[in-house]
Amino acid sequence: MKDVIVYVEHDGGRPRRVSLESATKAKELAAALGGKTRAVVLGKDARAVGAEMLTYGVDVAHVAEDADVDAFAIDPQVDYLEAVAREAGPALIVVPYTMIGRDLGSRLGARLGAGMTADVTDLKVEGGRVACVSPKLGGLTITTCGYLTDYGIAAVRPNAFKASGGQAGGEVVELAKPAGKSYAMKVEDVVVEAAGEVGVEEASVVVSGGRGVGGPEPFKTILKDLADALGGAVGASRAAVDAGWVTHSHQVGQTGKTISPSLYIAVGISGAIQHKVGMRTAGTIVAINKDGSVPIGEFADLLVVGDLFQIVPELTNHIKSGAHHA
Amino acid sequence: MKIVVTVKLVPDTNADKRIDPASKRLVRTGVETVLNPFDEYAIEAALQLKDKAGEGTTVTVVTMAPESGKEVVRKALAMGCDDAVLLSDDGLAGSDVWGTAYALAAAIKKSGFDLVVCGTQSTDAITGELPGALAEFLGVPGLTYVRKVELNGTTLAAERETDNGYLKVSCPLPALISVTKSIGEARYPSLKGIMGAKKKTIAPLTLADLALDAPVGSVGAKTEVLALAQPPAREKGKVVHVADGAEGARAIVDFLKEKKLI
Ligand SMILES: Cc1cc2nc3c(=O)[nH]c(=O)nc-3n(C[C@H](O)[C@H](O)[C@H](O)COP(=O)(O)OP(=O)(O)OC[C@H]3O[C@@H](n4cnc5c(N)ncnc54)[C@H](O)[C@@H]3O)c2cc1C
Ligand SMILES: Nc1ncnc2c1ncn2[C@@H]1O[C@H](COP(=O)(O)O)[C@@H](O)[C@H]1O
Repeated sequence: MKDVIVYVEHDGGRPRRVSLESATKAKELAAALGGKTRAVVLGKDARAVGAEMLTYGVDVAHVAEDADVDAFAIDPQVDYLEAVAREAGPALIVVPYTMIGRDLGSRLGARLGAGMTADVTDLKVEGGRVACVSPKLGGLTITTCGYLTDYGIAAVRPNAFKASGGQAGGEVVELAKPAGKSYAMKVEDVVVEAAGEVGVEEASVVVSGGRGVGGPEPFKTILKDLADALGGAVGASRAAVDAGWVTHSHQVGQTGKTISPSLYIAVGISGAIQHKVGMRTAGTIVAINKDGSVPIGEFADLLVVGDLFQIVPELTNHIKSGAHHA
Repeated sequence: MKIVVTVKLVPDTNADKRIDPASKRLVRTGVETVLNPFDEYAIEAALQLKDKAGEGTTVTVVTMAPESGKEVVRKALAMGCDDAVLLSDDGLAGSDVWGTAYALAAAIKKSGFDLVVCGTQSTDAITGELPGALAEFLGVPGLTYVRKVELNGTTLAAERETDNGYLKVSCPLPALISVTKSIGEARYPSLKGIMGAKKKTIAPLTLADLALDAPVGSVGAKTEVLALAQPPAREKGKVVHVADGAEGARAIVDFLKEKKLI
């Protein structure tokens, strides 16, 4: 028997979508393994978020509204997760493949002597064992890995699974504070620069701009407008980031983020291999480029050859006006 | 003050990367090896801290790699690092994140450190999980995705990137950080640096020197590869040439409707 433990990343009282996706998948895995689905929710608003997790099929939401979790980076979370893992016994622990999730997963993995798999895009149970699928080498190879240890830690890529809520049952349980710990990594300040924005990793639609966009302004206007109209996020090629037009957190590709949105719109991006490896697993790829012979034309589902400054604003108008419903 | 920078040697991005179907490992022979591009920022961050601190601060490069990686390590020395440790042993082949972090931690403890600086991720694996595991094995606070770092005496002050901004964090040394490219462009080795690097020490280390308590390498691996597959190639799609914005927008809207994306 094996439980599946999901670490829930949350912000402003809302679980991140990747955690909802993970919980939904965890329920399926736990059923196959004959174990329970547990969620671990820590810090400010943990109780409310824990209650919400129950509607995603979680059997037990372990919560702790411990001020130390918000006052110190990472270590308190690792201690709580470790406590839940040891209580559950041999288990699969699912963390998001995000900045925070990577840290938690790797620290916990080192501590528990657990097998760690990263950037997981699928999870299955085969013959009673968990198998993790992840693309390697920029998606050139797809590996399926198994754990050789009691505990396994899977860091799952956002947008890999569908979240499905509306379920009933389960309970919220308060966690005891891990005893005898002291923390050193003090959070002095939390600076929010882009409130309410979805990150490129998590967005289901990403509108990315490249060198062809020509400067910082269009990122804030025409690209942002299209992304907003589609409920998505703005991404960028490295050329745009290196030019200082947008910050590195928007960069898609080998030295940026690897993403799997359902729709990726590449605007003024040529589609170099280092860019391609970051977005080749998108559901649908649309490119807008004035050059019909660019590499992205070789793997985009649609390449529209024309001027981005004319096409993008028109497209935004169409989407906004709902003209496409006609 | 002793700063340790961990660097990984990876196949060149443009090289044809292959996985050997028999051993299920990355083929590292016959491909040009380079410093993991992310680790150049780690070196840069360490050198910036050294430049500020001045006399008495040293930067040691530590890598776990085949012995043939020596020349690549020299690039780090040419950039300005003081010396290097090259952990090489056939018994390390096949190490996963756990084993790599465990062995590196032992090597770093042996050389001593106040601050360890890592890259955020490696271009061949892109797991980004080594720094966290390494901090855990070293038993020190760890902070990843650092975009700005300062040392004030024995206190570290840093800014960590988040998805919508950043955190300001502080902690006492010893500690570990991983840095992003926001730390600043990596410096090029100067001619003087290149000449000087030839005289700097690259100390060899083997598993026998570390006397580890747990097995590493393929015998110590905590995961196993069950299968490898080639992903379906993305097909070339439709290409439409449009005369103006309206026509372009129409083409996209029609396509998205057909795909049921709007
Ligand atoms: C180690 C390494 C790591 C890298 N990592 C990354 C990475 O993570 N992400 C990444 O993206 N790149 C990465 N690169 C860089 C990559 O090789 C390319 O240089 C980069 O992706 C090019 O960006 P671009 O497509 O925006 O620019 P370009 O290749 O210059 O393309 C700009 C495009 O805009 C089009 N255009 C111009 N004006 C208009 C207009 N008015 N309307 C329509 N189209 C227009 C042009 O036709 C052109 O195709 C990396 C490179 C290396 C060596
Ligand atoms: N074999 C290695 N030797 C030294 N440092 C490494 C090694 N592997 C990974 N690292 C460090 O860990 C960082 C993250 O790597 P990874 O977790 O493999 O993506 C790298 O940027 C390096 O700083």
